[in-house]
Amino acid sequence: MAALGRLADGPVKRRAGTPRRRTGLLLALPAVAIFALLFVAPLFTLVANSFRTQTGAFTLDNYARFLGDPFYRGVLWNTLRVAALTTAGCLLVGYPFALYLRGRSPRVRNWLALLLLSPLLISMVIRAYGWLVVLGPAGPVASVIAWLGLTPPQLLYNDTAVLVGMVHVMLAYMVLPLMGSLDRIDPTLVPAAKGLGAGGWTCFWRITLPLSAPGMLAGAMIVFSLTASSFVTPAILGGPKVKLMPYFVYTQATTTLDWPYAAAIGFVLVVVTTGLLLGYSRLLRRGRGEAVFG
Amino acid sequence: MTRLSRVLGGAFAALVGLFLVAPVAVTVASSLTATSYVTFPPRGITLRWYAEVFQKPEFLSSFALSAGVALAAAAVSAVVGLAGGLAIHRYRFPGRGLLEAVLSSAFAVPTIVLGIGLLQWFAQMGLASSPLTLLLAHLVLTVPYAVRLVLAGLAGLDRSAEKAAAGLGAPPFLVFWHVTLPAVRGALIGGAFFAFITSFDDLTVALFVVTTDLQTLPVRIFNYMQYDYDPTVTAIGTLMVLFAVVAVVVIERFVGVAKLFGAGQEDTR
Amino acid sequence: MTSTTEAPAEATAARRGRLRLNGVRKALGGKEVVSSVDLETEPGEFLTLLGPSGCGKTTTLNMVAGHLTADGGVIEVDGRDVTAVPPHRRSMGMVFQSYALFPHMTVADNVAFGLRMRRVPAARRRRQVAEVLEMVGLDGLAERHPRRLSGGQQQRAALARALVIQPDLLLLDEPFSNLDAQLRVRLRDEVAALQRRIGTTTILVTHDQEEALAVSDRIAVMADGVIQQLDRPREIYLRPATDFVARFIGEVNALDGTAQGPAADGYACRVAGRTVAATPAGEPPAEGAAVRLYVRPEVVRVGPGGVGSGGVGPGEVGPGEVGPGEVGAGGEGLRGTVRETRFLGSRIRCVVATPAGEVRAALPFDARVPAQGEEVTCSWRPSDASLTAR
Repeated sequence: MAALGRLADGPVKRRAGTPRRRTGLLLALPAVAIFALLFVAPLFTLVANSFRTQTGAFTLDNYARFLGDPFYRGVLWNTLRVAALTTAGCLLVGYPFALYLRGRSPRVRNWLALLLLSPLLISMVIRAYGWLVVLGPAGPVASVIAWLGLTPPQLLYNDTAVLVGMVHVMLAYMVLPLMGSLDRIDPTLVPAAKGLGAGGWTCFWRITLPLSAPGMLAGAMIVFSLTASSFVTPAILGGPKVKLMPYFVYTQATTTLDWPYAAAIGFVLVVVTTGLLLGYSRLLRRGRGEAVFG
Repeated sequence: MTRLSRVLGGAFAALVGLFLVAPVAVTVASSLTATSYVTFPPRGITLRWYAEVFQKPEFLSSFALSAGVALAAAAVSAVVGLAGGLAIHRYRFPGRGLLEAVLSSAFAVPTIVLGIGLLQWFAQMGLASSPLTLLLAHLVLTVPYAVRLVLAGLAGLDRSAEKAAAGLGAPPFLVFWHVTLPAVRGALIGGAFFAFITSFDDLTVALFVVTTDLQTLPVRIFNYMQYDYDPTVTAIGTLMVLFAVVAVVVIERFVGVAKLFGAGQEDTR
Repeated sequence: MTSTTEAPAEATAARRGRLRLNGVRKALGGKEVVSSVDLETEPGEFLTLLGPSGCGKTTTLNMVAGHLTADGGVIEVDGRDVTAVPPHRRSMGMVFQSYALFPHMTVADNVAFGLRMRRVPAARRRRQVAEVLEMVGLDGLAERHPRRLSGGQQQRAALARALVIQPDLLLLDEPFSNLDAQLRVRLRDEVAALQRRIGTTTILVTHDQEEALAVSDRIAVMADGVIQQLDRPREIYLRPATDFVARFIGEVNALDGTAQGPAADGYACRVAGRTVAATPAGEPPAEGAAVRLYVRPEVVRVGPGGVGSGGVGPGEVGPGEVGPGEVGAGGEGLRGTVRETRFLGSRIRCVVATPAGEVRAALPFDARVPAQGEEVTCSWRPSDASLTAR
């Protein structure tokens, strides 16, 4: 170690203030190479291919086909619908849960946070498979319904199954920013409002809810865009019957082998999700500007 | 808070907890069923399906492939993340802003789109599917996390501490070793952990990169599920859950899982 | 350090540590931060670089430590040119404003770091660490981590870490700024006492003039990248050489006049038709030249304003107790009307309107307080006031 010390000029600047561009470039090189060759180039190829026919000539046909076909417009619409429903579901389950967490001791909070994050630590495939069992014909939900004397409905391979699976995965993405924004609320505000005569509900509607809006918005954006672009859970729980964009990217690329068309669908998906995130970051910036000048 | 609302809140939280653990609990329980189809509650108790897993060489080879690629992804991500984080945080070089922009936008691009992009790009380059291409594909998913965690770690480091070490007689390499590296230790462990989990778990990108004789574990399970509904998958799932639990316990000891995820969101200090 | 083995080290420390800066320059981001600094310390001296933020004091310290390389000029320690020597090959203990303790190491490990780098054997290392921790009053906290220490304790640990390597120079970069007022005073007095005891040449960087006056053997007041004045605290305070120094440190009466010539106890000038005297900072001005006097409120005496009343000679009567009709070596003094007096606790503030402008005086609490509207004469000892060309 000590011998190395004499040999190596470590990546720490020997003297602050003298920019050493070469060292910086050298250190950045692996990351730059990875992203140039494995991120920028593939995406560039994808976009280029989306403007080509199968034989390589330039065309806008792939997009025209996507936007002109009511079936594919329906797929786009359904993707947005499922993403919106998942977001709503996460909010409905996540908001009360975050409120509950807010009042707990750090210990309880830690455990519940771990529980919340556990779906993210377990293989997506296994997690979706678990729901396959839970909602399946021999699963606990069906058994309970049968025990009640009713005929169990088809629980799998429909929007509901996808929704359940997606809310399960996405809940953490909603609750974490919510918790962050609830924690930032001045704890004296609610007692202050109560002192002014506001009831519990009024306090919630007029103080807690509006002040946690940034967290809700952040959570909603993340959940929406991640859901719109997720593949594994909908593919396993929804199958071909639930028509979502990522699934069609996959089938066009691997089954139909229409790469240009798959590329075009993929690009539309990118535009939808990143457009949303960009809009969100702009919204955030405007919100901050108002806070400064207002 | 009234007592009633507290009880209601507790009940609600318990329901959410149940919802969160349901798929995993059911998977684990039904892996013990003696029936040849998956059922919950399990009927009878047997370890037959675990034996079954170990008798299927394709699952074992897929596990080996996945674990190998994930370990490599973890190691490479930590190293590349450290170098990239240091470069962005400490140095001015041409393209620095661009690198930062690309790293942060990588999160916004749907994985499925990356998958198909890589498929078409690799095909154009004439790169045949191999463990290496799989690793390369996974690095795109894992390196941004690692860089971000390292950047957060470096932001928390007081540069004076490095000056102090140098003043006390530590040459640059030892300053790095004794002061800089410990400050990003948590970030590196976290980055490596994320990378391992992400790579080991990835199905979306892998589906585009693999071939019939080169299948990662998630791909193998995914394909198996399309045709078979026997409890083998539940047994594999249980083993993977155990694997994850061990990883979480280890990480919790070192850094704290919640903190890890928090560090990805924002730097609280 | 009480053990006998350390005695020789103490003796050498007293002889070591002569720092010399010659024409040192530094530009950062295209802007000249340090223009041309010349400086020489005596071994064992406590020298302070005092100035407002951005005056170049910290940059100068960083060049001494080696964290910045000088663009020009020479830095020598005990005759060795260290201008281009990297920090780890200099022997300087530095204490930072942010403490800069290594967060992942215990106090003992922090302190031992420099000894480790010097390959000091473990046994001796432990002993030296224990000794230095006792010296700064941290014995018993050796196994704590820095985040579990108070600000003052962290600063002591940082000091111990800097001192244990028996550096040529001890460099203190605003070390007390993050502490609350009371602790700041206590710690700074402790550090000054410790420094005097172990005799390590010390360079302190601060923007706090009171701190500088309290601890330093000499003070270098810096502004705009140059040293404005380098002198003992008393001279810096009473006899500022430049307008900047006069105004940066405390309150000052600036009086414009014309030079007359040498007087018995200083240099006489005419100010608003009266003769007063002060000590020239630097070369005495030519007769008839435009000059400016700087007089601190604390040295102004306020006496009853009879005909011919003036200053007093040194050591005759205390401030504020000038008898009527006395004429001291300081000249006639300035006559004026008391505009207001205000009791401030330790001092009584008295503002006198004179033809030369307002003169503010800080009288001792037990002085006779002149009434508002009273005719008085303001005077001072010439050795306590400064005279510069205008």
